[in-house]
Amino acid sequence: MFSNLKLDPKKSLIYLITSICLLYIFTTIPVSTIKADDLKSPTFEIQMSTINITGGNKSNLSGTINLSDTVGQTFQGRFDGTGYVIQAGFQYIYTLIPFSFKISNLDIDFGSVVPGIPTTRSNILTVTTGSAFGYSVKAIEDHPLRLSDGTTTIPDTSCDLATPCLQTDANTWSDNLRYGFGYNMSGTDIDTGDFVNSNYYRPFPVQNIDQPAIVMSKSGAATSSAATVTYKLNIDSSQAAGEYQNSIQFIAIPSF
Amino acid sequence: MKKTFITLLYILIFLFLTQEETYAANYGLSISPPLLRVHIKPGKSITQVFKIENLGATDKTLVASIVPFSEADNYGNPVLNPKASAPWLSYFGLANSQIKFNEPFTLSAGATEQLILSLAVPETASIQDIYATLLVSTYENSLGQTFQGTSVRATIGSNMLITISTQAFPDTDLKVIDFKPIEGSFIKIGNLYFLDSISPVRFSASVKNEGSFTAETKGVFKVTTGSNKPVYLEGILPVYVIAKSQRQLYNTTGSPFEYSPSLNNIGPHQVTLEIKTDNSNTKSSINVIFFPLKLSIGLIASIFIIITIVKITSKTPKNSVDNPETF
Repeated sequence: MFSNLKLDPKKSLIYLITSICLLYIFTTIPVSTIKADDLKSPTFEIQMSTINITGGNKSNLSGTINLSDTVGQTFQGRFDGTGYVIQAGFQYIYTLIPFSFKISNLDIDFGSVVPGIPTTRSNILTVTTGSAFGYSVKAIEDHPLRLSDGTTTIPDTSCDLATPCLQTDANTWSDNLRYGFGYNMSGTDIDTGDFVNSNYYRPFPVQNIDQPAIVMSKSGAATSSAATVTYKLNIDSSQAAGEYQNSIQFIAIPSF
Repeated sequence: MKKTFITLLYILIFLFLTQEETYAANYGLSISPPLLRVHIKPGKSITQVFKIENLGATDKTLVASIVPFSEADNYGNPVLNPKASAPWLSYFGLANSQIKFNEPFTLSAGATEQLILSLAVPETASIQDIYATLLVSTYENSLGQTFQGTSVRATIGSNMLITISTQAFPDTDLKVIDFKPIEGSFIKIGNLYFLDSISPVRFSASVKNEGSFTAETKGVFKVTTGSNKPVYLEGILPVYVIAKSQRQLYNTTGSPFEYSPSLNNIGPHQVTLEIKTDNSNTKSSINVIFFPLKLSIGLIASIFIIITIVKITSKTPKNSVDNPETF
């Protein structure tokens, strides 16, 4: 049967090398593990669920490909079956980490204030967010500092005459003959283009009249971002004596 | 003497034992989850637990409320109006036995509480998106008569983006806008950008949702050669764009898109942003030409300087050197 078979030595060598190469490839190159989720056990069986096999950020060695993915998430079946879907994909795992907000001191007590000599007090706002989408902290006051008679007030600052400030536009307030109440921000996630230095102040927006003003914000995750609020009060000698009070609300909301 | 010493010791021990820890009036609260995305059919209901934790050192009196919103800024921060109202607010309720909306409750220092939010959408509900924020605020305390200053209140929130629809993915309309290079060395001629082939370039882009339902921004930023071969690929940060709003787009690290070309990236390329989600597809491309801009400028400047030097030296009067006797 094989008597007429003529072997070309050149071809034989090629076949031999090819065979060795294929043998080497099949036996040495590692085969990646196939992963699957077993939804059964002796005590339970999950018939419908969202199982995420993998997910997260991935990139190649040279860094020219950077992607995030979610593998294994089901959606359509659940919506048709139950009539609702609450988003909880692996890609959204960050949304399960709590968003937290801290304020170091809730009572900003100016005590006795000497006319023409500014008094400052401060507290620290701290934000931590597991959300990848950032946050904002807004501020608003119920009314300007006022006496219990409800009419006598210390006006909110308009800063120096030459450098007037607005609720969303800080400016220099260093003239001790300019009276009022205002605040400065310093630290992390503040608008440094607006609060250029410690002499830059803004008046607080007033509830039911103005929109709250953003005092801290970030488009991305934040871990213990801390900013100092410095409250400044300077009164005229003609200001009526008494205990002036107001309330300032800081609203911390994560972005979506 | 001995008696006095023992008495003094007793007094000191008494003082140490009876001393109470004092804390400044501070505040700390966490809420989880900070974002809730729900797709729900009319006639269905769900419950979702929000966990709040008092991170402060003192007990706090808090109030939970829900505030609707319809607008947001470019960064996904809702524009809240605490006085706003909406007819669908009645879909929400708290299933807790002790805690009700807009009524104060106490959360002890270090304690956690679950707010069991229920959402019941009636059969007759309109097919629409509804957006609200669950707010937990400190209850306003009355200030002492001798206190002069400001009482600080704190509010923390969690956003809820809810799509009421009979479909899982109601269609929406996304458009990529303002896609352009913002940092780096480039020249724009018409619609064509000439980019330096050795400098990193940053791109900025926004997305506008002109539809009536929330869309996501899942997709890719890619740079391809003239022959459509990809040379760079980067994911888009998946965020939500509520109806009739726009959002700034970022890469997966929350930064603007950036591409650092290599020396062999010369010639026409295409920079593309592609969003493909279950209910929206959009794509925007800009044509760029990479060329050694800085090197060319350097070369031209060098040639100009050399030519100038050569011209100046060639114009120098020869006789001033060659004929010293003229002096």
